[in-house]
Amino acid sequence: MAKIFIYPATSLILSDLVARYGHTPLSSAIAVRERIQTAGIESVPLQITPEEPKKGLRWAAVEVPSGVRGRMALYGPMIEACDAAIVINDADLAFGCMGCARTNELIKYLIREKNVPRLDLNYPKNEEEGVRFVAAIKRFLAEMGGGE
Amino acid sequence: MTTPVRIAQISCGPEYSGVQQEINEAARAVNGEIFFPDIALKDIMRDFGEFGLDVRSPDLKLAIARAKALVDGRVDADAVFVATCFRCAEAAIVRNELRRYIHTHSRLPVVSYSFTERTTAGTLLTRMEALTTIARRRALLAREAQEGLTMGVDSGSSTTKAIVMKDNKIVGTGWQPTTEVLKSAEQVIGHALDEAGVRRDEIEATGTTGYGRFLVGKHIRADLVQEELTTNSKGAVYLADRQHGPATVIDIGGMDNKAISVQDGIPGTFTMGGICAGASGRFLEMTAKRLGVDITELGPLAMRGFSAHVPMNSYCIVFGTQSLVNALAAGSSREDVAAAACHSVAEQVFEQQLQEVDIKEPVIMVGGTSLIDGLVYAMGELLQTKIMVPKYSQYIGAVGSALLASGFIKDG
Amino acid sequence: MTEYVPKSAGTVTKYIVVESPSVTPAELAIRAYEVSQGLIIKETCFGLAINGKEDEVNQLITQLRTLDPDHIFIKDRGFPPGDPRRCRANLGGARPGFHGIEYETTVLPYVSHGLEELRSRDAGDIPAPQNPLETKKLDVYTLKKLIEAQEP
Repeated sequence: MAKIFIYPATSLILSDLVARYGHTPLSSAIAVRERIQTAGIESVPLQITPEEPKKGLRWAAVEVPSGVRGRMALYGPMIEACDAAIVINDADLAFGCMGCARTNELIKYLIREKNVPRLDLNYPKNEEEGVRFVAAIKRFLAEMGGGE
Repeated sequence: MTTPVRIAQISCGPEYSGVQQEINEAARAVNGEIFFPDIALKDIMRDFGEFGLDVRSPDLKLAIARAKALVDGRVDADAVFVATCFRCAEAAIVRNELRRYIHTHSRLPVVSYSFTERTTAGTLLTRMEALTTIARRRALLAREAQEGLTMGVDSGSSTTKAIVMKDNKIVGTGWQPTTEVLKSAEQVIGHALDEAGVRRDEIEATGTTGYGRFLVGKHIRADLVQEELTTNSKGAVYLADRQHGPATVIDIGGMDNKAISVQDGIPGTFTMGGICAGASGRFLEMTAKRLGVDITELGPLAMRGFSAHVPMNSYCIVFGTQSLVNALAAGSSREDVAAAACHSVAEQVFEQQLQEVDIKEPVIMVGGTSLIDGLVYAMGELLQTKIMVPKYSQYIGAVGSALLASGFIKDG
Repeated sequence: MTEYVPKSAGTVTKYIVVESPSVTPAELAIRAYEVSQGLIIKETCFGLAINGKEDEVNQLITQLRTLDPDHIFIKDRGFPPGDPRRCRANLGGARPGFHGIEYETTVLPYVSHGLEELRSRDAGDIPAPQNPLETKKLDVYTLKKLIEAQEP
């Protein structure tokens, strides 16, 4: 089982397809779960404390807004841990954890820099694109050693 | 406990900066309740398109749609808090435009703020207090004349002021630097009462404001304990006799500055803070000291000088003082240095804070620094307008408190 | 500063979204309750949220998927079902992530169609989708050909 970073990291579709074809999706939910299941100082709603933007300094300099650094504290470790990535490039309506365009630009760049196998897609707009979309993901994941 | 004021939060980033908890706490402390306007994806797509500000960040698109839902009345709220990450250009544009949009198209009080991970509930408290006061006390704020015999005390970071008012006239004043909060308050109260020729027990209602408002308020059993954004707005339009229509109130204080966009005497949008001591009254005090003049003489001295002769940018009080010392060493005149210091403070406030409020005439300058005419002149030059400085402007918070306190006089 | 003590430690939560012509969210819920064995199940407008030990949740999911494998979609969730920190009833409005799912549900029919087709077709025979990073604008030579191909 390979660890596949999915973009948008909140994607239901990518989360499902990656798991369906036998791999582990690295998604926002995993990072959020880790925080809300860890004891510490209360910080509603996500248990992201003011310490997280400081941890984010590993990926973004201090002059970068706190919201970017806080989000990078979620995604940075996952990008470092991933074996491959699937990126949907027209995900313009993924909010919350994926709600900051500057963070999203940095995430995509760091994935590219990491030089792991990467599949770039757009959301399918019709049934035929749906077939190509699913087939491309299935093929990509099969090459990562998985199978349904 | 009264019903909490419902504050709609329109934001990008606080949950990821670890400051949502602080925002919630600040709101709760003033009996406010933060909520997020409920809309659907189709609303976001339609309203973002209609608004026409083509930003990339999805959460800013969501913010725009939520603001539109409030303005269109599809979601009910008492007040709006707009917050985005400090140093994000995209968010700053959205924050400013939404603040302006809500202010122009609705009666909702709105405050905007750019946070970092260091933002605390304490920093947000005064803003939230003003926001909930405007929402909750519209009737109290509608008061235009003082009645009976009332007193207002402004316990500021640099100075403490007291005012006694009777039948819509100021009859007693007290002013002195703040040392020990309660002791200073007692002294100015004593002075104001003496000047008015009345006894403490004759006062029918009292109000406090400023940093020490809670402590002093408890000590003198004040009827009204109110943050200074509200009292200063009210005091300014009352003293300047501009109670109706728009006005802009600027108060360059000892520790922080306030810029308030006022409509009919009620604050609409405001900023306070928070830049550096280099852009506060403190820097002018230091300048006066270095030039060997009393602070009261700094203004007239500056009026005789020409600021452009001395390069000075007091973004930081240390560098500002350095420029001041360098200029004197290089042979600049004291007049030019005084003018440059005034210009520098005005410029910092203009660049860092006045961009966050809509400047509408008349512009009224208040607080102790409004007596430094060099500063008022420099601000007027920057804003290209004639600035009003009403009589008693240095007592502004105390006047506002005394005025509003008369709403608490019990009948009979 | 208040100490935070997690309540759901050691569990996982998964969303099950159903976009099916043959299985309704209510039917999915009934089936889930039948085989749940003590897992927490909450119905949502999209389908279900299931919380419990990871192995048990995965087992249940495997069973539920069989009801309509091409129209049931699953993702992890950070919070347990009905957590007040994320609940619309407490926040006033939906959490931002809700709108993301709202958007993806509009795409799900195409993905379902893809899954159905791949039951009878080999993924290797299906042409790759256009790589969005390599999308090129129409070059002048192609444009010229198109113009020349026009009937006068």
